[in-house]
Formats: sequence, C-alpha cells, structure tokens
Amino acid sequence: METLVRLSFYCFAAATIAFVASAACYLAYAVGRVRLRRTALATDAGPALVTHEASFQPASSGIGRFATLLAWFGVGFQAVSILLRTIAAGRLPLSNMYEFSTTFVLIAGVIYLLFERWYGVRQLGAIILPIIVAMCAYIWLLPADLREVNALIPALQNQPLMTTHVSLAILAYAAFAVAFAAAVLFLIANRWRVAWLPSPDLLDDLGYRAVTIGFPAMSLVLILGSVWAYRAWGTYWQWDPKETAALFTWLIYGVYLHTRSLRGWRGSRSAVILLVAFAAVVFTYFGNYVFGGLHAYGGV
Amino acid sequence: MTHISLDQPIAKPRALPEVVVDRIWRFFCSVRAAVVEIAVLAVLVLIGTLRGSSVPRSIADAFPIMTPLVDGWYAWDVFRSLPFAGILTLLAAAIAVCTINRAPGIWQAIAHPSVTTTHGFLRNAETSATFTSAIPAAELAAQLESALRSGRYRTLTAERNGEIHLYGDRWRFSRLATFPFHLALIMILAGGIVGAAWGFRENQFYIPEGSVRELGHGTGLAVRLDDFSEVYREDGTALAYRSDVTLIKGGEPIESGSMTVNNPLTFGDIVFYQSGFGQAVALKVADSAGQVLFDDALPLGPFQSKLNPDAPAARMDLLPAGVAMSVIAPDENPANAPELDTLHLRPGEMFFMIRPLGADSPIAEPLGATVGQGESIQLGDLSLTFVRERRFSVLQVARNPGIPLFVAASVLLVGGLAITFYFPHRRVRGIVSATPGGSVARLAPMARRDWSAKRVFEQLAADAGRRIGIEPTLQTNEPDRSPAASNQLSRASR
Ligand code: HEM
Repeated sequence: METLVRLSFYCFAAATIAFVASAACYLAYAVGRVRLRRTALATDAGPALVTHEASFQPASSGIGRFATLLAWFGVGFQAVSILLRTIAAGRLPLSNMYEFSTTFVLIAGVIYLLFERWYGVRQLGAIILPIIVAMCAYIWLLPADLREVNALIPALQNQPLMTTHVSLAILAYAAFAVAFAAAVLFLIANRWRVAWLPSPDLLDDLGYRAVTIGFPAMSLVLILGSVWAYRAWGTYWQWDPKETAALFTWLIYGVYLHTRSLRGWRGSRSAVILLVAFAAVVFTYFGNYVFGGLHAYGGV
Repeated sequence: MTHISLDQPIAKPRALPEVVVDRIWRFFCSVRAAVVEIAVLAVLVLIGTLRGSSVPRSIADAFPIMTPLVDGWYAWDVFRSLPFAGILTLLAAAIAVCTINRAPGIWQAIAHPSVTTTHGFLRNAETSATFTSAIPAAELAAQLESALRSGRYRTLTAERNGEIHLYGDRWRFSRLATFPFHLALIMILAGGIVGAAWGFRENQFYIPEGSVRELGHGTGLAVRLDDFSEVYREDGTALAYRSDVTLIKGGEPIESGSMTVNNPLTFGDIVFYQSGFGQAVALKVADSAGQVLFDDALPLGPFQSKLNPDAPAARMDLLPAGVAMSVIAPDENPANAPELDTLHLRPGEMFFMIRPLGADSPIAEPLGATVGQGESIQLGDLSLTFVRERRFSVLQVARNPGIPLFVAASVLLVGGLAITFYFPHRRVRGIVSATPGGSVARLAPMARRDWSAKRVFEQLAADAGRRIGIEPTLQTNEPDRSPAASNQLSRASR
C-alpha cells in the first residue's frame, strides 16, 4: 500500500475508535441513570420483604457533551482519512463498497451532528452512532484488497457524473438514517413518555426535515443515474435491480410524504413508514450482494 | 369541507352516466386511492427487483411448496407486463385529474385566502402570541401589519363585529410547486413512451475497420469505421477503447468523429456508443470468371468455432456461388483445453472452409485450407484472398426523441420539490380587539403539530414585538395526544 493510503486507513481506524466511544456515551446519555433501590421492610423477626425498585433519571449533560465531542473527533479523523485517499487516488473515494462506505460514515456523521445542532436533540445519537459503528464494522470486515486504490474500469470513468451521482446517494442515505433514528426515538418517546426525551412533535418534525433533504437528493440520484446510464450504456433505464431497488425506496418515501401532507398523518403511523423505508434503503445499499446486474462491479 | 344541511331541498336523483363519471372522477381525485396506487407500484417494483436476485430461489428452497409460485415469479417480466403498464397509466391519470381538481382550491388559497378567523381557533392553537397595548385597535393592527410585512409576509385585514381580523402569509406561490413536480412524473412516463414509439436502438452494430455499414431504421445513414484503438495502462488494465468513424449519407461523408466508453458521439438526435470490439478478417472472394463476390471484412468473435470455443469464427453465405463459407481464427487461449485446438493455426493464419449450400451447389464435400495473411488460394471454383487481419468495433446506436421531455422533467421535478420543501407556505391568523385600556391582539400560526412552523411563528412574533416595542406573551397548548389525534390530523383543520 502506498503511504498515503495507509495513513488514510489509520485515520479511519482512529475514527472507528472515536465513534465506538461516542456511541457508548450517547447510549449512556439517552438511557439515563438507572438507580436500583433496595427497600427492606423490617419486622420483629428480621427483614421480611425486600423489594428492588429501578428508577430512571436523566444522565448528566456532561456525558452528552462528551459524546458529541467524540463524534466530532470521529468525523474529523474520517474527513482526514477521506482527504488523504482523495489525494492518493486523484479522485473522491466513491467507487467500490469500501470507498463508498467510508464516505458514508463521514457524511452520516456530519449530517447527524448538524441536526443535533439545529434541533438540540442529543438522544438521537444513541441511534445514529450505533448505525455508524455498524458501518465501520462492515468496512473492517470487507476484503482487505479493497483498501488499495485501484484504477477505474472504463464504464466508471465519468468523473462529474460519478461523483455527483454517488455522493448524492450517500447524502440521501445519511439523511434517511437520521429520519430513521428520529422515527425510532419517536416511537420510544411516544410509547413510554420518558420525561427527558425530546417531545414527540419535535422528533416527528425532525424526521420529516431529514426526509426533505433525503428525498430531493434521492430524486437527483435517480435522474443522474439515468443520465449516466445513457452516457455509458446508451439507455436511460435498464430495469437493473439496483436501479429498481432505488426506485422502490424513493416510492416508499413518496408514500410517506403523501400520507403526511395530504392525509395529515403524523406520529406513529408516519414513523412506521420511515422504518419500512429505511429497510428499503439498507436493501438498496447492500443490494449488490443479492443480485448481479450492471452495478455488480464495484468490488463485491 | 362541505356540510349538507337538512333544510336544503333534497337533490334530484341523477342520471346513471353522470353518477358513473362522478364516481370515476372522485376515484382519481382520492388521495387515499393515490397512496394505494403508489404503494401498489412500489410492491410491483419490489417484485420485479427481487426477480433479479436469488431471494425467490431461497424462498423456494426453504418452503418447497412455494416452488411453482417462485418459478412463476422468475418467469414474469414485471416491468414489461400489462399490470405494470396499467398502474403507471392509472397513476398518470390520477395525477392529472387530481391536479385539475385541486388547482382552483389552491389558487383560492393563494389569491383570496379567507381573512377572518375565530377566537376559538386562536385559543386552541398549539402556540399563540398576545400583544397588549394602550393604543387603539386599528393602530395596533396597522403596526402588526407593517411588522409582518417587514418579515416579508403579505398581510390582509378585514373588520368584523368591531374587531380587526388579520391574515399574513409568506411564500404562498410555493403551493403551486407540486404542479411542476407531478407534471414531471407524467412527462417522464410520456418520454418513455415517445422514446419507445419513435426511437430505435441497435444494440450490436458491427463494423470492421475500413468497412462501411448501413444503419437502417429509416435514417439513410451509413457508418465507416476509420480506426479502432485500445489504450492500456501499464498494469494491463484497459484505459479506453476508441472508434473513429465517418458518417455517410447518400454516398457522401458528412461528419467524422470518435467515441469512447462514456463519451458517445452525437449526430443530430442519433447517438453512437462504443460497446465492444474484436478481431475481423479482410478478404476477397472471386469466382472462376473473375467476378468479385465479396471484398470486405468479416467480424470474427460474435461466433466461435463449433469445435473449439476459444477460436473466434465467422460464417457467411455466398449464394451466387452456392456455398457457405466459414473462417476460423487461431485459438485465443491455447492454455485452455489444448486438445480442442486441432487446427494448430499460428498467429497470422486463418482457416477457410466452404460447404455446399442448396441443392445445386457446385461442390459435394466441404473443402478447407489454412491461409496466411496476404496469400490467396483456390477452394473449388472460388479464389480466396486473405487480405489482412483487421479489427471490428461494436457500437450501440440509439435515437431517443423522448430526451428533451426527460431533461425538462428532471428540472421541474427537482425544482418543484425544492420549492415545496424549502419554501413552505407559512400562514398566520389573528384578531385585534379593543379593550378598556387600549387594545389586544392575538396571533397564531396555522401549524398544527408542525414543530418547525411553530418555531418559525415564535421567532416571527418575537421579531414583531421588538419592532413595535411590545413584548408578546407566548402561550402554548400541549398538542392533543389522544391515540387518534396522535396519528392523524383531521383534514378539515388544514
Ligand atoms: C396518483 C398519483 C398522485 C397524486 C394524485 C398525487 C397528488 C398529490 C397532491 C395533491 C399533493 C399535495 C399538493 C399540495 O399539498 O398542495 C402531492 C404532494 C406530493 N407528491 Fe404527489 N401525487 C401522486 C403521485 C406522486 C408520486 C408517484 C410521487 C413520488 C413518489 C409524488 C410525490 C409527491 C411529493 C413529494 C409531494 C409533496 C409533499 C409535501 O408537500 O410534503 N406524488 N401529491
């Protein structure tokens, strides 16, 4: 491996560590302190009744701030990692599952942290950071030769289209991940009324805002993908499985938007659609494993 | 919402056709039907997507009882099926009808919104702001109006029962943005139909170097491949494949250009793509009278020798001579199955063979010979010259008149979405009333269970208060959290 590529990988390793620590802190922050109280009822004959009672209390805000700081560290390391690889390869790392996923980790982190700033909702990190950690784990499990920088096959050599198409896909998936996290948190907050979770309304709105970023991005992914297909293969739409999986995902978010804006759905029904839709995102992302097709190159 | 009051005269029973048309119209207008249609489309797309995968197979493996169903699944070409075309048509019709149906209402809300509201609406709003002042109601209303206007809100007022009703909104035209968006969806479908009906697509257009081939499809064009080149990187991976071609119309060259993968050549609305390449052989065939039967190049490689799959081959019928001719090139991969390479051709050699074709063929038996580049031989009555080795290029050629539709639709689609999402129509209502000590104004946003819109309103109220020097008191009502309300807003409230 070239030095820069190796350095880039070390930065990714550092980012992984930061993200794992951050995820742990976010989880501790969101769950709060659990205090077990032991109450003993004493009688003349000694303690007769011992009960254990769990009580939940909000975590200190310090651990939340620490979680955010660690997440910024992770994002910083990951940004350097991507930067080094970009310099080494002379292009953005977007062309195989390893490169695509490392960029996803960066963008998902950034989008999440932006939403955390805008809405001041730290508990969301308890869902998003584990997703990011899972992606890091997936990257570690990928065959090591994908970490090398390889030359592009002729069909992938369309810099502007490839860069925009793929980076918008990453942006869309990252936004959808935030919407998913908001939906999960909504369902928890709505069900159990945990006092220190953000208000369900806010979570509902946050999910929607994330979709208003993800949906137009996904629309552009589909459009630019077909333009690219036209440039490379001479046809806009091949009904290739990866394409149709993306179309499927897009349609599910379309259902979400319609039930919301026209039928006035809010809350748990909307949240459930977001869960289904995110399952479709995951299916599209890892679709290469299930089907061949024109998108099958790219390392898996 | 329309209310049917009891003291209205009972409507006359309507004629059946009218009822049917009304039903159909209402079906297409129904948002519930639209949502179901999109969901059905999504399910069909999923079925079609999984067909390209091993998922159905694993279902059949797990539940053998499903095998016939799974076989049917693999056999069903969803995207070219009637139900799929049907649901797309239905969606397009629904979008069109729904648009026509909603347009007047939306226009009404933009151009002539109702200005008056009720105290009940303001009281029950999830958030509201109250401004108390010692100045008369009319003056307070005017100040609030100008404050809203400086926040780029349009304001309208109306007087009723001695109170001033205030309406303010911003980005009202963004409500129109769903029209270009949905129109774009129809245009993309229309573009697909136009492309399929009036375009053409030639997936494998073979031209050997130096040869001319007719394109057909009513274009009157012929294409000459002037040169084909491949560029490799140092490590042996392909960097680019390039074809240089000349387009010929009516025997005259009209344009020259080149194409590589990802960089097609466009001529008018016809696009040429580099798709593949291979080996070709230039040869000349003449009969015993000296008449030339063939003087061109044959692409080798679309076919292989029947006996040795590693050997590219070609075949052509020479009808006037009553023979079929095949050419076999040297084995391309001698390491693989060497026992099949019975011809042992060396580079630069080709094996030519003629076979009888038809009842009155001049030959009875196949005749064959190995020929070197530049050499001539006699096979039966025919004199054959292996002029030289060439290469051929495979192009894809397509004409798609749906492209302008597609491009325009893309712009409308993304633009419409961006406006809908990022410039949402914001609305405020309020009532300014006189009080013994002056006046009081209460404003509330139309933002039920919309956290962002409430935040925007609170910001707006604070800004307005700063501008007119009155600190507003904000009041919030916890949104209704009954299970039904937590899932759905009533449509009437919007
Ligand atoms: C049966 C066909 C369809 C009908 C009748 C329909 C109708 C509508 C209507 C009436 C609106 C609301 C306009 C407004 O509030 O002013 C809307 C919004 C929207 N529609 Fe459709 N639509 C259809 C198909 C689609 C499809 C296939 C998609 C893409 C997945 C789509 C995406 C959207 C989006 C993104 C919005 C904006 C939602 C928002 O304002 O938050 N529509 N649709």
